[in-house]
Amino acid sequence: MGVTCVSQMPVAEGKSVQQTVELLTRKLEMLGAEKQGTFCVDCETYHTAASTLGSQGQAGKLMYVMHNSEYPLSCFALFENGPCLVADTNFDVLMVKLKGFFQSAKASKIETRGTRYQYCDFLVKVEYGPCVVASDCWSLLLEFLQSFLGSHTPGAPAVFGNRHDAIYSPADTMVQYMELFNKIRKQQQVPVAGIR
Amino acid sequence: MVPGIVFRSVLDHSLESLIHRLRGLCDNMEPETFLDHEMVFLLKGQQASPFVLRARRSMDRAGAPWHLRYLGQPEMGDKNRHALVRNCVDIATSENLTDFLMEMGFRMDHEFVARGHLFRKGIMKIVVYKIFRILTPGNTDNTEALSLSYLVELSVVAPAGQDVVSDDMRNFAEQLKPLVHLEKIDPKRLM
Repeated sequence: MGVTCVSQMPVAEGKSVQQTVELLTRKLEMLGAEKQGTFCVDCETYHTAASTLGSQGQAGKLMYVMHNSEYPLSCFALFENGPCLVADTNFDVLMVKLKGFFQSAKASKIETRGTRYQYCDFLVKVEYGPCVVASDCWSLLLEFLQSFLGSHTPGAPAVFGNRHDAIYSPADTMVQYMELFNKIRKQQQVPVAGIR
Repeated sequence: MVPGIVFRSVLDHSLESLIHRLRGLCDNMEPETFLDHEMVFLLKGQQASPFVLRARRSMDRAGAPWHLRYLGQPEMGDKNRHALVRNCVDIATSENLTDFLMEMGFRMDHEFVARGHLFRKGIMKIVVYKIFRILTPGNTDNTEALSLSYLVELSVVAPAGQDVVSDDMRNFAEQLKPLVHLEKIDPKRLM
């Protein structure tokens, strides 16, 4: 399962998003990484319907329902700064039944698709496969990221912060994606290349 | 997925005879036993009736996923149908299910412990179980039996439209007489 760091890389100066992605993939291929197919992560946003709010008197919350091609039989549902539920894909059917209480936010679906590379124990994404405790492998992840991201290397993801010795789980990856998608939604006017 | 369901009860002293007969009729030689804790959650909106979800966890199988179930309203259609039919959605989840449901706005309405035996015959599931009331909320060690009976439930989960399933259920139910008379429950009596 490994430990995953989801990172966003800004578009190279004077280049388009596609050109920046091509630069990154060329760097990875020069390092010796092997192409292993594609990946896709998507995120749908729901908000509490007005009818539910009225009776409960609470502020509307946003709930994110996400899927990750790395875990094709799973569905991830989470609240920002709240719990992340891992469920099977019947959860999507339940959301249809709940449409009177939770409505899909307009034009809210966001997805990231791309190519999956493997370089030794790393999957670029970037995931370090042999380790499941984030604090034990962050230095190694950082060194690897620096080798092809240079000055754009990210800091440690927030999910690592409170869970130094806890076992890393797929839910932690999905929280990173949710934070990245929310950041991208706010930056709508600025084109970015996201790497995983 | 639409379950067909019939149920009845047997008094405690008739349990062994029923288990013996089910062992003979069903697929598995030794029945599975289970000890589950079920919590029923409601989400109230401006609709007339709240949305009900059932969260269930195993108390005797460490590491088993939690189970979330939605059951729709009983279909009132064909009175000749031998089983109660409802829409259902079953979902396996991680163990933070109750925290997540509360975050969604659900509130727990009631909870209970169920202990019993599970048999299978083809796609039919037969469950014989006793319900225990939880005396202190959240404390599953302190329970008392709700009655001197075991509930007997015969159910099938199948795609919608497969009415031949309820004929199989009726035929199986015939083989349990006179120990227990399984029959369709009138949904109006449940309200």
